[in-house]
Amino acid sequence: MADLEKLRAVAKETVSRDDVKYLIGWRQGTYGFRVSPHFITEPEEADKLIFSPLCSNNLATYLTLVEKLPVPRGQEPDTRKIALMVKGCDSRAVVQQLVEQGIKRESVIIIGCPCQGVVDLAKVEEKFPAVLEQVEARWDDGKIVFKLSEGEKAVPREEVLADKCLRCRYPNPVTADTLLWEKVEAESNDEYADVGELEGKAPEERWSFWEAYFSSCIRCYSCRNVCPMCYCEDCILDRLNPTWVNRSNNISENTAFHLARAFHLAGRCIECGECERVCPVNIPLMKLNRKLTKEVREKFEYEPGTDPDSKPLQASYRPNDQENFIL
Amino acid sequence: MDNMKLAKEKVGDFLAKLGKERFRVPQETGGSSRFAPLNGESSVDFTLSNTTVPLKSLFYPQTETLYRYEVGETAMKAPGEADEMIIMGVRPCDAKALTIVDRLFSWDPKDPYYLERREKATIIGLACQEPRLNCFCTSLGGGPASTEGLDILMTDLGESFLFQPLTEKGEKICQEAGDVLVKSEDSDVQAAEKVHKDAASKIVRKIDSEGIPEKLPQLWDSQIWKKTSEPCLGCGACTFLCPTCHCFDIQDEIEGLEGRRYRVWDSCMFKEYTLHTSGHNPRPTRRERTRNRINHKYSYFVDKFGVIACVGCGRCINLCPVNVDILNILSQVKEAL
Repeated sequence: MADLEKLRAVAKETVSRDDVKYLIGWRQGTYGFRVSPHFITEPEEADKLIFSPLCSNNLATYLTLVEKLPVPRGQEPDTRKIALMVKGCDSRAVVQQLVEQGIKRESVIIIGCPCQGVVDLAKVEEKFPAVLEQVEARWDDGKIVFKLSEGEKAVPREEVLADKCLRCRYPNPVTADTLLWEKVEAESNDEYADVGELEGKAPEERWSFWEAYFSSCIRCYSCRNVCPMCYCEDCILDRLNPTWVNRSNNISENTAFHLARAFHLAGRCIECGECERVCPVNIPLMKLNRKLTKEVREKFEYEPGTDPDSKPLQASYRPNDQENFIL
Repeated sequence: MDNMKLAKEKVGDFLAKLGKERFRVPQETGGSSRFAPLNGESSVDFTLSNTTVPLKSLFYPQTETLYRYEVGETAMKAPGEADEMIIMGVRPCDAKALTIVDRLFSWDPKDPYYLERREKATIIGLACQEPRLNCFCTSLGGGPASTEGLDILMTDLGESFLFQPLTEKGEKICQEAGDVLVKSEDSDVQAAEKVHKDAASKIVRKIDSEGIPEKLPQLWDSQIWKKTSEPCLGCGACTFLCPTCHCFDIQDEIEGLEGRRYRVWDSCMFKEYTLHTSGHNPRPTRRERTRNRINHKYSYFVDKFGVIACVGCGRCINLCPVNVDILNILSQVKEAL
């Protein structure tokens, strides 16, 4: 059970340490059901930290999104640690970043929050009118309870939780320096029903499905930027010489972008679903990602972000690796 | 000209009478909405609230060919003429936004692409009845029934739409429609006024912009920019979907010996936006980029063109994945002034 007192106490203690630069957690947003990432450097700021079914953001992205300015002459680089609150899925992102050596273990403090699932805001907004006052939420025995101004409203978890949470096999952080409360039970299985549904369709049907979405993409790159695994310092999408993907917005370039994005996540996507959550034009990106996740799991028995001591899929070779799909 | 009325069952006739191919209306594609040609349909879904992609995409499309050329030749080929458009169902904030960017595109030099489309377009607005939570148009001189930038204001009266022509272009459309439209009664106008008033009373979020344009640059080194930009992902959702953001990049595409020069939306929230060839970036982090976004809208644009480049449509708040909330930033600015 989420224990806010414990969470804030640990945060205060952590952020008071001399070797910690800042801590990233969640706080209530500026209105309604929104939550915002909360960056704190002072112990008193910890009082605003929350952990609730509204805490969708995968904060692991901020470990690699940080912009490093050149260190002025005569100064040493700041090597203090960044403390981070993680749910189960978020922790897989941190693990995968470690496995890929995108971050160093000694540079992060992982505070684990076993998680009973976060909401899909679109599902919540269908149930409740938009409100200005901040709404709190909590888990309660198979229900999500929302604290609205007119009183508390309990909703069965299946009706408001994000799809990824309803099939979550990793609700508990796979690695953490501190685990804030008891572990929770995982959903039993994930049969990739959503992927199977699309796989069962004829190629033309699949194409018309994606064509509608890709043509509506505005290339804001929120999916790339929010992705904790998209951290190349020099992204092919930003390259101009050579220009791998043209800046023009059309079905051809947009498709190239989406396929490049998805393929670069093969064997790396940890299924936090952030890309799909943030997309302002609602492209079901997880269907693409999960097709690749499924292939990787079936063909190589590999699941990214589950073992800090493993090697990245593309950097590991076993003599019995399948090769029957190579032409 | 008198106010007119269009019965809802006659919307199809109205479209047919004026020529369906001329119309651009709110449409859903994939999981979002934008203004698009009618596509053979005989009706319009006017219940869609503000479109995800703002009206600007019809006037300065995300990608626009400036000219075509052949390698080795000196002649450039201009793109074809712009289509004549009747845009129906425009929310007042989006129309007001056009009047703001008009100032930029008719500045020096005048932008022929944009201005030709503006010239050839007639805009039929639809008064908002159900403003959304993050709408704050009334704080910036607009409102759910604001007429700025519109040629006709349409109001939903239940069984019919009241048509209030506002310009010559609007009157022309009403004349062309002929007997598909009927004259309205005084009671219709009164009913519309009530709709407008009720809608305005539903707007809950507000900002008092008094003093912000003049004093905003004084907060250059304020902690506000650091704190409010911390969660920012540096994506382009807020700017691409802003009805007044208008920055573009110019690119070439060459295939074989044929090429085109085009412009494409750019975003000041992208790190490559101000990246110099040398590798230096005067806006190196999201702190400087966030500061620029707010300053450009609420101060620089005012300095140059006399108007705040924000209409309070709320899109940047609704669609920000990490709850960067412009009203929250502005209220912190107000406090700090």
